[in-house]
Amino acid sequence: MSVPDLFDLRKRFDNEKILLCFNGPISRSLIEEIGNALRNYMKSEQASPADALDVFAVYIELTQNIRHYALASKLLGADTATVVVSYRDGHYHVSAGNIVRQEDGQRLMDQVVMLAALDKVGLKKIYKEQLRKPRDVGATSGAGLGLIDIARKASAPVVPTLQLLDNGTSYFSLSVQI
Amino acid sequence: MKDLNIVSTQATPLIETDSNRGVVYMEGDSYPENSFEFYSELVAWVTTYLKSNDRPMTVELALLYLNTSSIKVLMDIFDELEEHHQKGRDVTVNWRYDVDNERVAELAEEFKEDCSFAFNIIGQE
Repeated sequence: MSVPDLFDLRKRFDNEKILLCFNGPISRSLIEEIGNALRNYMKSEQASPADALDVFAVYIELTQNIRHYALASKLLGADTATVVVSYRDGHYHVSAGNIVRQEDGQRLMDQVVMLAALDKVGLKKIYKEQLRKPRDVGATSGAGLGLIDIARKASAPVVPTLQLLDNGTSYFSLSVQI
Repeated sequence: MKDLNIVSTQATPLIETDSNRGVVYMEGDSYPENSFEFYSELVAWVTTYLKSNDRPMTVELALLYLNTSSIKVLMDIFDELEEHHQKGRDVTVNWRYDVDNERVAELAEEFKEDCSFAFNIIGQE
């Protein structure tokens, strides 16, 4: 029987300064519990309240985006999220990824690249415009503000990745430096 | 008019209304997945209150973190208040926050930019 090499995994977490990692089907309650752990951790590390709130906010928007996508797309396995929070070079980093349809992945890539080209003033303008748009009738969530809000909280352009998989799907991820 | 008394949870704030005094009070974090659903009762209460009388309305807030869909709902409520303020109603928002957390003040400030009624952002030690 092969057993997972946990020590090796732990060494990798340590080397990459990973504070928190999750991989699996994400639920509403898991998002809350992991978020709670993240907040407690940041409090114990005496992160500034502003840093703690920004990290938490980006974590929530990323994971809730995945939940909303999984529910709306009905794509099998889309609710399996990979979430990593790390602290290196003086910054917190929040990353999350999941499987998406190829065309959705491309659309997200384009949107993130478009946002990355904007400065703080441009981001605020587009945020306010989106805030003013009437939301889709029947939508219970997804104000379309999440990606813009993430870009506004980032201290460097958000880094997207898109890896082609089989069956018309891709693995999409976002890495955000706070 | 039936008042609301919604207890807080980890992801949703405490919400209380007082139709006699025209007050809405909210305290805590707000990041439900289904914000539009969660806030539907409050949105309905505000609309009913504003339609049923022309008395003043005060919103007392001690909110900390709001996810973007909660921000959208709150903006929609403020827009409705603004509309009634334009027609002469006395409207006030008081948003209290801990001075150590400037992010909350920044969030409140962005709402205030779009409102012409009295919008007080009150830092507390």
